[in-house]
Amino acid sequence: MTPLIQRFAQATKAKLHTVQDYFSLAGRAIGFIFARPFYAQDLVQQMDEIGVKSLGIVLLTGFFTGMVLALQMSVQLQTFGATMYIGRLVSASMIRELGPVLAGLMVAGRVGSGIAAQLGSMRVTEQIDALNTLGTDPIKKLVTPRVLAALIMLPILTVINDFVGILGGNLISTLLVGIPTGAYWQTVWEQIASDGFTFHFFPNDFIQGLVKPFVFGGLIAVSGCYFGLNTTGGTEGVGQSTTRTVVLSSILILITDYFLTQILLALFAP
Amino acid sequence: MTDEKEETGAPAEEDRATRDAERRGGGRRISERKSETVRAAIRDELAEDAPAAEQRDAEKKASGDADAVIELAHVYLAFDSPILEDVSFVARQGETICIVGESGTGKSTTLKLILRLLVPEKGHVCISGKDITGLTFEEALEVRQTMGMVFQGAALFDSMSVFENIAYPLREHTKLDEDEIEQRVREKLQFVDLEPDRVMDQLPSELSGGMRKRVGIARGMADNPQIMLYDEPTSGLDPLTTGTITRLILKLQRELNVTSVVVSHDIRSVFRMATRVAVLHDRKIAFFGTPEEMAASDDEYLRDFLGGT
Repeated sequence: MTPLIQRFAQATKAKLHTVQDYFSLAGRAIGFIFARPFYAQDLVQQMDEIGVKSLGIVLLTGFFTGMVLALQMSVQLQTFGATMYIGRLVSASMIRELGPVLAGLMVAGRVGSGIAAQLGSMRVTEQIDALNTLGTDPIKKLVTPRVLAALIMLPILTVINDFVGILGGNLISTLLVGIPTGAYWQTVWEQIASDGFTFHFFPNDFIQGLVKPFVFGGLIAVSGCYFGLNTTGGTEGVGQSTTRTVVLSSILILITDYFLTQILLALFAP
Repeated sequence: MTDEKEETGAPAEEDRATRDAERRGGGRRISERKSETVRAAIRDELAEDAPAAEQRDAEKKASGDADAVIELAHVYLAFDSPILEDVSFVARQGETICIVGESGTGKSTTLKLILRLLVPEKGHVCISGKDITGLTFEEALEVRQTMGMVFQGAALFDSMSVFENIAYPLREHTKLDEDEIEQRVREKLQFVDLEPDRVMDQLPSELSGGMRKRVGIARGMADNPQIMLYDEPTSGLDPLTTGTITRLILKLQRELNVTSVVVSHDIRSVFRMATRVAVLHDRKIAFFGTPEEMAASDDEYLRDFLGGT
């Protein structure tokens, strides 16, 4: 029994160390945002890699999600003769939940795995050691630009995702349900305005919808960097790191989404 | 015939006994013969490289008074089990210390200790008289800027061109302008016998193994370090390229008086390059001396080691 308890204690200790290392990496990466030297070129390159190159999949998923939402809701709302509310429901769903979560999951799959593979390959080919020996902190050079780029780009991708999602809903509600475009956008705006404004300008719906991707961006980039930098076991290890990154960041996105929703609903209670 | 047999009986018995004894100790005798052959080859190698030996003598004379650039004192390092125990050696200005030994004896670990990528549990590592074991991460980064490291696989940044790779330490740690950086990169590429105009814009993936190693050396020496460290610089290369890399390391030592530590399995290259050789065995330094002393040593392990290479 004692060896079993010992093994359990050791395994728990190892897991706690992993969590500690994960948050330590996140803390150092964020701390270096304000420390010289600034790797501006790397930041721009990562913003392109994480943001611009993810635009295609985000546009596609957003557009089709908006379309399917409108389609499903039109069937349900027709029963009550309330199809004019499609715009309200599509915009609420997209802005508050589906926009941030879908953009997060898409970027986790595309970018998180890419970060882990790149840093993992650098680790197994001794390029991370080379950075260290050349007097560069690999966290400052590699992790900080990626985390910062994800923090900036994911909210932007989410706004685009929300917009094309609502546009997809517009297409279906106009073509299949027969709601005029003007009336659709009127209900969309009513929904956005109904939750009030912060400083009489920023719609609360938008703020709720933008806090989430900001957090998700950080989770994706830190997970990718953490597993990438800790890659062992050659090319097989690189594969394992990418898988772990996608699994962990997807799970973390869904779990933190719930808790963030609780907090934001409490903060922005009508 | 019988008489003959009887007459020759005693010597025949003796022969049989000798043959049995030879059979019993056969492996050892073969090893000794092989060891002798290798040592003879090494003596030839050293004789062929007489200017290098003269250079070594001159360096030894000079190094007698020179300050220790790298000093490991009673270093003990363990992860799950001990890796290095009571390892001590000194590298003086302009010396080339070659570390040899079987795989997994802690040769590359020793380089990591010098770079302060690892910290010993006991003992000290001093660079230019300064103990680096207690330094913070940021202070260690500064110390590393005085060293150049050449990795086994060159470890060139594969997203950067050859020019950007060599310019990297200059852009990071110097205030040279772009023209000066380009001039320095060209100078270093010429030093390693590469044509700057041909290779500067190429990516590491477009280069051969030998060229990658040479670019690795150029990057390591870009910021004119006092110390150069090489982790198996000739592994995986053909004999001609191995010779080229060995000559480059010698050139760096002779022309720029750089202190070098080379981890290598290639005994032929080691005997050409080394001012002194450190043999790691069983987590300890089994031998530390000149190549001539190593070749002349009667130590059983050294004989077996040289015979087995």
